[in-house]
Amino acid sequence: MPVGGFVINVDPDRIEESIKKLTSFRGVEIHGSDEKGNVIAVFESSNSHEMEEMVKEIMKIETVLSVGLTYFNAEDEVEGNANQG
Amino acid sequence: MGLSRREFIKRTAALTAASYVGIDLPFSNEQEAHASDADSWHKGTCRLCGSGCRLELGVKNGKAVALRGITKSRTNMGYLCMKGMLFYKLMGNNHPERLKKPLYRARKDQPFKEISWDEALDIAAKEFAKAVKQYGNDSVAYYGSGQALTEETYIFQKVMRGGLKTNNVEGNPRLCMASAVGGYITSFGADEPIGSYTNFERASCFFIIGSNTAEAHPVLFRRIMRRKLDNKDTVKVINADPRVSPTSRIADLHLQFNPGTDLALLNAMAYVIVEENLYDEDFLKNYAVFRMGKEKKQVDFAKYKSFVKDYSPEKAARICGGNITPEKIRQAARWFAKSEGTMSIWTMGINQRKRGVWANNLIHNLHILTGQLCKPGADSFSLTGQPNACGGVREGGGLCHILPAHRLVKKDKLRHEVERLWGIPEGRIPPKPGYHTVAMFEAVNQGKIKAIWINCTSPAQSLPNCDKYRKGMRREDVFMVVTDIFPTKTTELANLILPTAFIFEKTGVYGCTERRSQLTAKAVDAPGEAKPEVWIVREWALRLAKELNDPVIKKCVEPFLGKEPDYELPKAIWDEYTQKLTKGRDNDLRGATYDVLKKLPDGVQWPAPTKEWALKGGTDIKFVRGLDPLADKHAKNDLPYQFYGPAHPDKKLWIWLRPQKGPAEMPDSEYPFYLSTGRVIDHWHTASMTGRIKELMRANPYAYVEINPKDAEKLGIKPGDMVEVVSRRGRNVLPAKIYVGPCEGMVFVYWHDQAEDRMINRVTKDAFDPGSKEPEFKICACRIKKVSGPRPLKPFLVQMKA
Ligand code: SF4
Repeated sequence: MPVGGFVINVDPDRIEESIKKLTSFRGVEIHGSDEKGNVIAVFESSNSHEMEEMVKEIMKIETVLSVGLTYFNAEDEVEGNANQG
Repeated sequence: MGLSRREFIKRTAALTAASYVGIDLPFSNEQEAHASDADSWHKGTCRLCGSGCRLELGVKNGKAVALRGITKSRTNMGYLCMKGMLFYKLMGNNHPERLKKPLYRARKDQPFKEISWDEALDIAAKEFAKAVKQYGNDSVAYYGSGQALTEETYIFQKVMRGGLKTNNVEGNPRLCMASAVGGYITSFGADEPIGSYTNFERASCFFIIGSNTAEAHPVLFRRIMRRKLDNKDTVKVINADPRVSPTSRIADLHLQFNPGTDLALLNAMAYVIVEENLYDEDFLKNYAVFRMGKEKKQVDFAKYKSFVKDYSPEKAARICGGNITPEKIRQAARWFAKSEGTMSIWTMGINQRKRGVWANNLIHNLHILTGQLCKPGADSFSLTGQPNACGGVREGGGLCHILPAHRLVKKDKLRHEVERLWGIPEGRIPPKPGYHTVAMFEAVNQGKIKAIWINCTSPAQSLPNCDKYRKGMRREDVFMVVTDIFPTKTTELANLILPTAFIFEKTGVYGCTERRSQLTAKAVDAPGEAKPEVWIVREWALRLAKELNDPVIKKCVEPFLGKEPDYELPKAIWDEYTQKLTKGRDNDLRGATYDVLKKLPDGVQWPAPTKEWALKGGTDIKFVRGLDPLADKHAKNDLPYQFYGPAHPDKKLWIWLRPQKGPAEMPDSEYPFYLSTGRVIDHWHTASMTGRIKELMRANPYAYVEINPKDAEKLGIKPGDMVEVVSRRGRNVLPAKIYVGPCEGMVFVYWHDQAEDRMINRVTKDAFDPGSKEPEFKICACRIKKVSGPRPLKPFLVQMKA
């Protein structure tokens, strides 16, 4: 169950609306934001493929400009040898 | 009560992200008595792309389990893209397909057999010695990589030149940035950018040409985007490219020109700058001269003015086609010239051209004309594609015509200096440069090269018109050694495959785009018997010395004998290179010792002649007195800028008169489309790494051909249809993506796919720039035709046959 810490940049004029959309994703927690459109999010998924899919889906939101990863933990995935190619 | 471990990790994730942008969260983890999320954290550099993002690898029970960006790093401020987040999956025993044992076959039509390192090194030494004895020193060659560590490139080229007496030392940076090198040297007198990434936060105008920064350098793009968003009205972004890409999203102005007309566009911008008196007269008077032709003849400003007269925006708009109008050219030139600080950014769209050096010169021209250099936010900045093309290959002597620390092979004084520093007899390094990349593989084709060592790169896939060169690599009389971590299109053609350690499994330095050297020390063990290259070369050289009965070969590795390979050996090589070879040169790195590099979160930008200067991070902007120690040292007058670059005896910046020239191959009635190639965000180069990270592979399992909707309609091509792309050289069959990306009359294919049918370098052309010898991957002529409706496709990667 990987956990990722992200700074999501959204259109500063449409922060509220963006956060609402973001919270509708399963596995996404929003921890804070500022007036520049920086949104602090934690993603949790059952594997890192799903995490990548989440990032892709979030990138599709019109008001989202970039999704920046800052922290990633996949200890149980590595322990469980989830890297079969 | 404490938190659960999972909550603890989630909080850590949130706190890390929040710390990046200075947001306070209502909790902290300091009070928690949990075991931390990793046993130990190890600083290092991302293995992919030339941005040089710094990160820390979390290791638990000897395995790589977590990653976090380093917020204090001036390259990435801690941010990483998905490739950077996932490459730990290739480390140690995390990936089952890693090469773990030396493999050998005497003939290329036989299967490989596992052998011991002793046997492998003996074979490599015997085969190279045999070629030298029978066919002379220039019958052997090394072909390296902008992904090899600096220590690796340095020791390989030392053994080849000093030991085997050949300058047949090349590397894949020839395919990506040789034109940028040529441009910097001919315009500024010194290789590599003047400024740094810090200009991203200071520029008021970005001129992005021939670079899909959003996908190829995502973390740097983030900085540009942030700058634009925080200053929506005052910062302008101009994007010039025949293809609309995700980079265009933030552009105020998109200039879509037909492929190969960029020189006319750039000259037309100069026309406007001259016509509207937007140039900086003082800057020109103090720092610049005008030159033209092969003889570099100096001419006056009047002559330059009459030269650009031929590129009126009206005329250029006709040449450029696409969406270009005279007004757009004028607008771009005005924003460029008038902004407080203009930063140009480019990559392969400018470099991989028949006239790549000229295109580079014409961008530099705009900066020199307007004085948009050396001041905050002003820079003419070529982005690098590979993590160590700058540090290892450009600076470490990894191309056939250059020796370490920006010395030219053909300059007797500099060559003898290197011989003296290595303690080998004068005359040991031949005065003639070796084969450049295309010539090297042509020589393989012709059987002139009998033994070649290919390190950390896959020319069988990455050379243009690759079928032609794969023929040579298949020859039974050409002995081929390949060092790599995974099977590739090139290991398929090898006699001997040597498994190597990956980043974080060995120690060494990468030098990124902004003259910055950064150390990554070993944190996890390499799988099986994989070894660091520096050990491999040292042991091979000792055997070569015996085979050829030549003590000078041994002399080349003598300073490194007996050193433990994971840290002491690369450190000794780095010390020799920096303390001896870069001393007094423009990339002086004497202050950037391993100890200093370890202390800093990111690294050191040269020039960094002393430890004190290096500990401050080195030089942010070159040539500025007070900011660059060498500008003070070499100062010739009281002017604030001192262009002391080694290649310009007059210590001036050179504005070049360079005419528009089209590509080597233009579309015609038989091949009516332009074909261009490039990257997507998920993959990197030949996909031997990113293709093995299943998340990235699933996101982009195979290549496709992008076709403009108008062309698709004319040809009756629908999304997903299978389309053949044929040139005079080869054929691919790819699914169609109908997309307002490429301009009309142009198709675009990404080049990562290893499947024979979708390997686009079978189709591209091997014409190259006569100055930089860099091939024109970006433009050739092709025709396209629908061959069937959609077909199910499978991703493909070369596997090692047991
Ligand atoms: S931008 Fe480049 S260096 Fe940075 S994390 Fe992504 S691939 Fe790595």
